[in-house]
Amino acid sequence: MSPILEIRGLSKQFGGVTALSGVDLAIEEGEILGVVGPNGSGKTTLFNVVTGVHKPSGGSVSFRGHDITGLAPHAISRAGIGYTFQQAMAFAGLCVLENVQIAGEHVRVNAGAGQPWSTPQALLDFVGLAALADERAGVLPFGSLRLLGLALALATQPALLLLDEPAAGLNDRETAALVGLVRQLPGHGITVCVIDHDMKLMQMLCRRLAVLDFGSKIADGPTGAVLADPKVLEVYLGGDL
Amino acid sequence: MIAGAQPNGPANAALRSLLPVLAVLVLIALVPLLSPSNRFLSLAISAGINVIALYGLSVLFGQTGILSMGHAALVGVGAYTAAILSRDYGIGFWLALPAAALASAVFAMIVGIPSLRVGGHHFVIMTFAFGQLLAIVLTNGGDYTGAATGLDLTGPVTLFGADMSDLTRYYLMVVAFVAAAAVASWAIINSPYGRTLRAIRENERLAASLGINVGRHKIGAFVVSGVFAGISGVLLAHFLGHISPTQFASFPSIYLALMVMIGGARLISGPLAGGILVAFLPEVLNLDPVQSRIVYGACLIAVILLLPEGLIAGAVQAFRRLLARKPKQEREDPDTTCTTPSEARR
Ligand SMILES: Nc1ncnc2c1ncn2[C@@H]1O[C@H](COP(=O)(O)OP(=O)(O)O)[C@@H](O)[C@H]1O
Ligand SMILES: [Mg+2]
Repeated sequence: MSPILEIRGLSKQFGGVTALSGVDLAIEEGEILGVVGPNGSGKTTLFNVVTGVHKPSGGSVSFRGHDITGLAPHAISRAGIGYTFQQAMAFAGLCVLENVQIAGEHVRVNAGAGQPWSTPQALLDFVGLAALADERAGVLPFGSLRLLGLALALATQPALLLLDEPAAGLNDRETAALVGLVRQLPGHGITVCVIDHDMKLMQMLCRRLAVLDFGSKIADGPTGAVLADPKVLEVYLGGDL
Repeated sequence: MIAGAQPNGPANAALRSLLPVLAVLVLIALVPLLSPSNRFLSLAISAGINVIALYGLSVLFGQTGILSMGHAALVGVGAYTAAILSRDYGIGFWLALPAAALASAVFAMIVGIPSLRVGGHHFVIMTFAFGQLLAIVLTNGGDYTGAATGLDLTGPVTLFGADMSDLTRYYLMVVAFVAAAAVASWAIINSPYGRTLRAIRENERLAASLGINVGRHKIGAFVVSGVFAGISGVLLAHFLGHISPTQFASFPSIYLALMVMIGGARLISGPLAGGILVAFLPEVLNLDPVQSRIVYGACLIAVILLLPEGLIAGAVQAFRRLLARKPKQEREDPDTTCTTPSEARR
């Protein structure tokens, strides 16, 4: 089966800083792929370039066989790629339910048919925020805000979901809840690619890991093998592994 | 698509925000029974014409979060369209309405284009410059725009054969237009389109990541506000019978922005309250023009600092606090709530 997302030779420079240099990465339909790497290794930039937030300096991205390189963020979303930001965010001045309504109103293709949430309320139920539907998003505790961010991305009915450090700032209980949710996604037709540097979390979620270091991919393979790779160990030596 | 599967509960809550406005307008329509002075009627007509433009400005500023300090220029485009159509083609009030709405919408689109690249204060200054620029163009337009003297409008406004130029009739017609503007603005605010605009106001980046074409909808909000401005301009031109460039330069624009801020841009009652207050305050307090400018300046600063949601929202909050002794609610859109009715109007 051909990959759902194929990244070829992707590069991004910010002025003199090389954030990505020639990254190749294929995400297979139905998997949960982890992308790890030290701070500043280019993980967020990788997502930003794929989702159209930044234009790449070189290389290409194709989604389900269509070239999507350099498309605008709203077009990428409509093509079926959902994205949650490293900084948890929602429409702070609007209530939780309205947040999710908005997110579901600009879907073009029904990329992820067969998802179990047909209404905003059902989606809030799925992520466990139904009780907070009438609250203003701006007053949510941080853990709930993260879940709302996930709900917003899911409301766009993505076929591929990119999660940038979804567990950052969450306590153990909240992290466990998040893991439980993310694990269900492939069963609903959603392929997941998740960034985090918490290796325990990644081992729970991902059967395959890709490792970035200084903007280059230095390892890619089954989680166990990647974590035993001397190159990877060196990068993380004394680091946050 | 995830359906906005909502029973009529929230729709009722939304309707409840419109009804007080319509009720007030009905009372306002009854004022002629008290045989008010011509001066009062003229002042009220001017205020009502402003309120129509304010309902458009509230979509742009209140919902989309874009402040324009050049809005009077768009009213001017409507007014000059009406005057030129009347002079050159003998086109009267009713046909001028759609033509002016279109012309102002096109100009609004042009004003809006820089908002795609420039944000915040820089954009506010650009809209300000646009207002000044239009005044300069009109002043230097020779005979076509009547230069600094401006243009006269002849020809009565008629409705079903009745002459509407009579002050009381024109007053009633303006009240009807205000009601239509309020309903149109309310319908926009409570539609999925209104939600989209609010999403852009709250967080452009997030909005884009959810499939919202931020640029197109920003321009769209300008176009909507332009339509209101154009209609307001036609009513103004035919009311005054004479228009000139200074009426549409920067200061009138600042006044419009002031009115919408004082009333509260996010509330459906805000434009009405702001327009009436700013028009009648100097009259009530018996202020001369210089004094009234000082009072407005002070009001604006006070409102921005103390009541960022505007006077009405501030009053409602104070009232609720008094009743319920509840802690102060943080920013919310009282008219656009998506909650259950009890939550919405507590
Ligand atoms: N918008 C930007 N402008 C300039 N430099 C940036 C920008 N975004 C990221 N960078 C730089 O690119 C590098 C990679 O950053 P990032 O992708 O955020 O890393 P990570 O997510 O792996 O921590 C860093 O050196 C960072 O400073
Ligand atoms: Mg990052």
